Amino acid sequence: MSRRAFERSIFAAFALLMLAVPWIVPQFLGSFWVSVIAEILIWSLLAASVNLLFGYVGLLSFGQALYFGFGMYGVGIGIAHLGLSFWPAFALGIVSAIAMALVSGVFAVRLTWHYFAIITVVFSLIFYFLFLTIKPITGGDDGINFSLPPTFTFGETELTLADATFQYFFILFFVTLCFWLMHRVIASPLGKALMAIRDNDVRASLIGLNTYVLRLVAFVMAGFLAGVSGALFALFGRYSSASYMFYHVSGEAVVWAIVGGTGTLLGPFVGTGIFILVREVISSQWHHHLLIVGVIAILIVMFAPRGFVGLWRNLVDRVFNGGKA
Amino acid sequence: MSDAVLRTEGLTKRFGGLVAVDGVDLEFETGRVHAIIGPNGAGKTTFFNVVSGMHAADAGRVFFAGQDITGLKPHQISRRGIKRTMQIKSVFPNMSVEDNLWITAKAGQGFLHPFRPAAKFTGIREKVERTLEQVGLSAVAGQVAGTLAYGNMALLEIGMALISEPKLLLLDEPICGMSPVETENTVQKIRALSRQVDIIIIEHDMEVVFGIADDITVMAQGAVLARGTPQAIGADERVREAYLGRAGDDALDEDEPHA
Repeated sequence: MSRRAFERSIFAAFALLMLAVPWIVPQFLGSFWVSVIAEILIWSLLAASVNLLFGYVGLLSFGQALYFGFGMYGVGIGIAHLGLSFWPAFALGIVSAIAMALVSGVFAVRLTWHYFAIITVVFSLIFYFLFLTIKPITGGDDGINFSLPPTFTFGETELTLADATFQYFFILFFVTLCFWLMHRVIASPLGKALMAIRDNDVRASLIGLNTYVLRLVAFVMAGFLAGVSGALFALFGRYSSASYMFYHVSGEAVVWAIVGGTGTLLGPFVGTGIFILVREVISSQWHHHLLIVGVIAILIVMFAPRGFVGLWRNLVDRVFNGGKA
Repeated sequence: MSDAVLRTEGLTKRFGGLVAVDGVDLEFETGRVHAIIGPNGAGKTTFFNVVSGMHAADAGRVFFAGQDITGLKPHQISRRGIKRTMQIKSVFPNMSVEDNLWITAKAGQGFLHPFRPAAKFTGIREKVERTLEQVGLSAVAGQVAGTLAYGNMALLEIGMALISEPKLLLLDEPICGMSPVETENTVQKIRALSRQVDIIIIEHDMEVVFGIADDITVMAQGAVLARGTPQAIGADERVREAYLGRAGDDALDEDEPHA
């Protein structure tokens, strides 16, 4: 079997497994785990947004929770205050995240390295405290709860996310769509231009790339990913809360992305999966599960700079090249 | 005047109290290979940095093919056709050799399609393959650029300059740090290039300079000390004194003259 065929079959098996989750998982683990997997899918988009910036453009953002929060509140305010139906509220969440990313990006991408990291944190903190304060609109710490409008209506019958299987596939569809879009972007001229800027921004501008505009484009795209993530999470949890805009959340996404493997498409998904599973499995038995999270993160940063996906690739390299050479 | 590919008027760049480039008026005729020489700290690289837009000039103007390009951003100047290499090798280290060339060829073309796979741009693919052959890097096309041997990295830089179809090429010490074989190889590439494109080269290796330049400009302390053909410069007393050194005639063979 060639290396390509091997990787394709692994991927196909994984895709089938994801599609079968609503039937397999309740049988063996209980239906609770279906929603854990749904949650992993949602959060992996937030990690993907960190990865798009850090892994492909070289900008480390500690403020992606801001756009996650805008996605959440777009949905929450849309449904609870504006009385929007399902799809307009979903769209409002994504559009507000993109708009916020555009506004803050105009300032943030003038900076790089630690200055960029700091300004992204500052932006997210400003809006975190603002949203805590304007309680009538945001509900502050408590957030706003809402009941879900139907997703589809066919005459008398309504399809809502209350149906766990439908909810799972709804989330799986949008998360897959986002990863597919990102895959397309990475392989495109735009993707190569972003990587060129990540590698050497002076050289990039000397070959004719407008580094400012391209960084801004990437920043808005990352805002889109975080926004979809937040909007899905609001629909999934039926509520929106300012507490998800805290930099703690941004920081977690950075750790997930790095441990999974920055600069790889599926690294963020792997990282998010590992950490959420660790949390769900261990936190019920042992109070200090964050200790394990910390140890994993430190070991990965020290010994596997490309994360778990990088380790996996090295392994596959060894197996296939070892066989030939 | 219309046949000057590059012209500067009173170009000045200060760093604090230091005047790195001091009111330089220069005209580079098209169709000739120009070399800029001068002791370390003479302002040669700063001159390139100002021309290519990496530093903003404090005073003076730059004209490229008759058009004022003073104050434009590096990517704007690059898109007009001035390409440069860096003194310290500068490529995209985590991308493959072919991707380095690919993005360089694409960068100047404006719109970067966000969803069309890069592999489908067959015109650029072919250009990349031709350039790989031209600079002799076909064998390492898939290798990550950061892991190339030094000489190959320099060739990649020249390949990147080539594939971007420059009108004017600024080469900043292209052979610095190369072995004699690599030097010979690169000098031939530059000579071949000079038939298609205007070149201004900064170089310390006098053998190389006197071998390929049609015109030499000598800079010292931010200003132009002398200009002329290699013969005239070689015979110029002021140049000998300021630059070629007091060591005598064999200074011509020295790699790194002392200021």
